[in-house]
Amino acid sequence: MGFLSSILHWLSNFYDEYLGFINFIIRRWEQVLEYTANHFSLVLTVMFFSLILWISVGLLISRYEKLANTAFGIGNILFVIPSISLFGIFITIPMLGLGRTSAALALILYAMMPMVRNVYRGIKSVEWPIIEAGRGMGMSPRQILFQIQIPMAWPIIFAGIRVTVVMITGIATVATFIGERNLGRFIHHGIARESADMIIAGAVLVSVIAILLDYILGKIEDKITSPGLRKEQEQS
Amino acid sequence: MIVLDKVDKIFPGTTVPAVKQVSFQVDEGNICVFVGPSGCGKTTILRIINRLIEPTSGDIYIKGKKVSDKEVNPDHLRREIGYVIQQIGLLPHRTVEQNVALVPRLLKWPEERIKPRVKELLDMVGLDSNEVIHKYPFQLSGGMMQRVGVARALAADPPIMLMDEPFGAVDPIVRGRLQDEFLRLQKEMKKTICFVTHDINEAIKMGDHIVIMNKGELVQHGTPMEILTEPANDFVKDLIGVDREIKLLDLTRSSEIVDRNKEVLGETREKDCFISALDPVQRALETMMKNDSDIVVVRDGEKEIGTICWGDIKKLINKLSGEA
Ligand SMILES: Nc1ncnc2c1ncn2[C@@H]1O[C@H](COP(=O)(O)OP(=O)(O)O)[C@@H](O)[C@H]1O
Ligand SMILES: [Mg+2]
Repeated sequence: MGFLSSILHWLSNFYDEYLGFINFIIRRWEQVLEYTANHFSLVLTVMFFSLILWISVGLLISRYEKLANTAFGIGNILFVIPSISLFGIFITIPMLGLGRTSAALALILYAMMPMVRNVYRGIKSVEWPIIEAGRGMGMSPRQILFQIQIPMAWPIIFAGIRVTVVMITGIATVATFIGERNLGRFIHHGIARESADMIIAGAVLVSVIAILLDYILGKIEDKITSPGLRKEQEQS
Repeated sequence: MIVLDKVDKIFPGTTVPAVKQVSFQVDEGNICVFVGPSGCGKTTILRIINRLIEPTSGDIYIKGKKVSDKEVNPDHLRREIGYVIQQIGLLPHRTVEQNVALVPRLLKWPEERIKPRVKELLDMVGLDSNEVIHKYPFQLSGGMMQRVGVARALAADPPIMLMDEPFGAVDPIVRGRLQDEFLRLQKEMKKTICFVTHDINEAIKMGDHIVIMNKGELVQHGTPMEILTEPANDFVKDLIGVDREIKLLDLTRSSEIVDRNKEVLGETREKDCFISALDPVQRALETMMKNDSDIVVVRDGEKEIGTICWGDIKKLINKLSGEA
């Protein structure tokens, strides 16, 4: 019986040590709800504008090759700026200051690199004979873009969008330092108060949002991508 | 129908012209075959005709109209010209139905006209339309893809077809079948066709007219018989190869050398070797070898009109080599 009780003891220790965050979430559910909702809406806002902006830029540079390297350069530079300083730069800009606009703008800039690059790569991945066939049948450049290149690029474009969404959900936690009341706040306060439960609660909820959004995007991708492009998966 | 007048093409960044002072004419309802080694400019010529590329100099006329004019919209021009590209180029994200219906949809045909047309075309090129219509290109064999490529080019019933090695990606047996089927189709369609191949045998079989190219230049043009009996130079001779006489047998109809002597016919009646009067003499020879016989009976429809024996064929070969 000593064996059983030692297992129970171990389990309760494990719960206190690692699953205490569940208690935390239950206890502070109103705050959890508020922070989660804020986190979610920030990510969605950022993704909404990023999709419009960066897909357009990606398409533009696939048409005007000369701009491509410039765009990649800018994207890379933005991407390597530490997030905390990028947020910091934005709050010094008059009119913006602390708050959602600064947070959203900084995150949109982060999204540039993975999204623009993948849109460009996707469009360029369409092989020459297929474009040539489209032209040979009398399709205009516009028809080739919308009826051949974009549909064929979906898998690569979606890969970029999914990486971006996961990344933005994570980096959004840092926006708590410029006034966002989101899940980053649990992590931040948890560190300040040395509360593992708070830190884990924040991290787990952030992961859940990221996984959920990635899952939804995966479903949309399946709907949009032609079965003709999914041969590898089907055959294996 | 199609006229090229002193066409040059020098690709940007290159100094050697890909096509040099090429002029020729393709008559209405004819198959004109362009043949020559890889890189001699065959594909370039087709792409100049439908203006996928612009010639450096020279003019192109279709039905008397100068299509190399800047006013002609190249996209619209291409919708009127069927194009089978060398790499087949089916759209992988679209079904067979959507691939074949591509040009009719660009031309805004009503859907109720497109549906039956796609079925008709697939059956015409020897595919089971019910089986393949909803498949994607990756689910097709090489031969099926080439058939779909031809169906797609024929879809809007263009009077002109440009076919770039349309049967290149299949084994010789399938290729032979595709060629036969296409020739049968062409008898009804009577399209004006520019057909590219690097295979002289295919050129002789498919061509009403042959244009031989080398290094961007037109070396010789004429009917298959003219090319075989009067090769212009060593390049053409090498291209034709050593079995020139055998190839000539392929161009002569059995009816031309049939022996209408009824007595001989009576003697051979038991035997099981028959050919049609329209078959090439080559077929007579093959039938003989297959049946281990030295005589075949020639039929015109159901009627037996005479015989061909080994001696007749030998006489023909001697005569043809004498001509050359
Ligand atoms: N877009 C291009 N740019 C530069 N050179 C080209 C281009 N297309 C074809 N060429 C060159 O032109 C020549 C003729 O090519 P092509 O017409 O494709 O030959 P073929 O179809 O007879 O094999 C080749 O030497 C090829 O390398
Ligand atoms: Mg070629």
